[in-house]
Amino acid sequence: MNNDRILAIIIVLLLLISTSPIAIAAEDNGGDDDANVILDRELEVGSGVAIEHSIKIEVVEVKTDIVDCAKLRISSYQKPARVISIFTGDSPSEYDTSSGASIFIDVLSVYGDSVSLRVTGPDDWRVTNYYTVESEDEEEETKKETVTVPKLDITRTFDTTVSEPGQVIAVTIKIRNTGNGTATDIMLDESAIRGTYKEDCPTTIEDIAAGETKRVSYTLKVVDAEPGTYELSPSILNYQSASDVSFSSESKTGVLEITAAEVLLPAIEVSIEPVDSIMTCGDDFPMTVTIRNVGNATSGIVTIKSDLPPDVQVVSGEDDPVYESIEPGESEEYGVTLRTHGEGKHVIDVQAMWGDGEAVDTIEFWAEKSGLEQYYIYILAAIPILLLLFWAMKRRKDYSY
Amino acid sequence: MLNILILGLGQCGNRILDAINREAFGSGGTFAKYYSRQKFPASVKTIAINTAINDLKELDDTLAKDRLHVPHLHGVGANRIIGQKVFKENKEMIMGEIDKRGSFDLIFVITSTAGGSGSSFAPLLAKELKQTYNAPIISIAVLPFREEGSIFLQNTAFCLRELVEMDAGGVLLVDNQYLKKYAGDIKSAYDSINTTTARRILFLIEALNSEMLMVTDLGDLKTVMNGGIGVGTMGFYEASKEGTIKSAILGSFKPSGLLFPANVYEDGARAMLVIKGNKKFLDLDLITKTVEELSREVGQVFKGVLIKKGRPKVLSLFTLNSVPELEKLYAIAADAIRFEMDKKEQSKKRLDDAFSHIEDLEPIY
Repeated sequence: MNNDRILAIIIVLLLLISTSPIAIAAEDNGGDDDANVILDRELEVGSGVAIEHSIKIEVVEVKTDIVDCAKLRISSYQKPARVISIFTGDSPSEYDTSSGASIFIDVLSVYGDSVSLRVTGPDDWRVTNYYTVESEDEEEETKKETVTVPKLDITRTFDTTVSEPGQVIAVTIKIRNTGNGTATDIMLDESAIRGTYKEDCPTTIEDIAAGETKRVSYTLKVVDAEPGTYELSPSILNYQSASDVSFSSESKTGVLEITAAEVLLPAIEVSIEPVDSIMTCGDDFPMTVTIRNVGNATSGIVTIKSDLPPDVQVVSGEDDPVYESIEPGESEEYGVTLRTHGEGKHVIDVQAMWGDGEAVDTIEFWAEKSGLEQYYIYILAAIPILLLLFWAMKRRKDYSY
Repeated sequence: MLNILILGLGQCGNRILDAINREAFGSGGTFAKYYSRQKFPASVKTIAINTAINDLKELDDTLAKDRLHVPHLHGVGANRIIGQKVFKENKEMIMGEIDKRGSFDLIFVITSTAGGSGSSFAPLLAKELKQTYNAPIISIAVLPFREEGSIFLQNTAFCLRELVEMDAGGVLLVDNQYLKKYAGDIKSAYDSINTTTARRILFLIEALNSEMLMVTDLGDLKTVMNGGIGVGTMGFYEASKEGTIKSAILGSFKPSGLLFPANVYEDGARAMLVIKGNKKFLDLDLITKTVEELSREVGQVFKGVLIKKGRPKVLSLFTLNSVPELEKLYAIAADAIRFEMDKKEQSKKRLDDAFSHIEDLEPIY
């Protein structure tokens, strides 16, 4: 049918060419008494004419509606192309050319895919060429065929990046097709961490048209993953275009920190306030013991047991107390006064025992004889001398009048 | 054990008493009192009595509690009248202090006859003691240097007379004038006299209180002191290596060993000999024989032999029938008194003559 139409058009054109001077003259005369008819013929959509080699008029589109119109692209030397719509029945549209002369375009009638145009202008202007705007159409057609490519952008988010065993993490995968083709056969490859379990995580996703965005959610249960910081592999989407071309997209990697589950337990620490490293035999020295609950639960009965060397004795103070309970963060303190009688190294262990365990602290010190002992012989020698001196003083007083 | 009281009156008596206390420490020297105790041969109590507190302070070896100050200015100024008055005023206090020491078997009163406090206190105190205690009271009377002055001489004269007339137990004389020949200067002479007197008193006390090979005792002493005029002195002699006990006994009667110049053989009334020394030197027969010989010349001679280490030492104590030296002293004293009286009368007369110039006159203003 088209071929027949094209053939008919060609025939018409040949007839027009053969009778063109007369026709043009006749049209000039018939259209406007003073205007020179440059063109008066039917042009199909996608065809064009060149006037005076530089002025081009191409039929872009025709519309048959209540008022028919044709969309024309007009260009001339050193002037950009301009698309204008001209309705039937309107007065001719003026177009100023680069030379300063104007031409007038009039749409006489519109057909299904052609338009009947009349162009008037300067006297000596003529149609210098008829052509078909094929190249541009083909390029556009080619373009239309290559842009039908899907492109999926994938973004993965977690409702929390810090979790502990037993906790559930909501994972959301946002997929957006930024391409111009529909993505089909979409397969989601979502990796997981050892010790976690993916629940309701889809492996296939419905087709996503160009420009469409889809969200996929699933939950990630942390079961018995070891505490630590994990880098989650990216989510991978494998998909195809309508032309069965395979594509792949992946999200960014994610970081998930898994902390140890909080366990409520008391933890008792024993600390003995440091004493002097060197003690003197026979001297009293204080020992202060602090029992602190550094755990997160109240302890039960805490029993203290001191392991004293045989030559260290408690002079005063409460030895080996028992505490009913110690609140978390709280501490108890007791002090005793000790005395050592033996020389040498001494080690004192203080042990705290409670329901869940025991703790111990140790102090060491060295005991040595009093520094005065080396002077004992002199002191002993001095005593009788002093006694004699006192005696002499008393005697002198007895004889002092 | 005998309870003996030794009283040192006045400066001289205090110093001899201090010497006795010093000698009681033995040979320990100056510092003996700081580490030693006095070792009296008997139970001896000593009291130094004086009105001059400075004299009491000068003492070294007498306990402070044994120094009794009788308050009256800083002494009585050699005035026996004042001294007697002061004693009477403080008699109760003095006797009270003595009474605190207990009872006594023998009392020595040591005093200078020349000074104020001692010479005035001694006779009165001896009288009080005689009335209070049933014990012989032997006065050790120290006679002054003759050239010390007329007041000292007249004090000596009156004091000595009062002591003798008191008849409390006898007077033993110590003559500074006689003894000063044994020392160069006055201080050395005083020290030497004090020490010598102290040693002889201690020697006597030791003899009286010890068990003796030949016994003489307190009764013998009383008998000796009652002999003659009740006035005597002491002699001493330490035998040399070659000397015999006889020579030692006889040596104790020699003038060089006496504390007062006397001729025992001519003037002696009764005597006591205390012989001390190693037994090997003490030939009792010879001692007895010698004492018998002495008795024929001197009169009754008591003897006591004390066995101790060392060469023989002999203490002689005797009373005299007559004391020529005292007679000389009294003569000098009388001359001195008369001289003082004459001088005073002349002075008074000259003063009266001077006053006579204004006898009929009145002051005009």
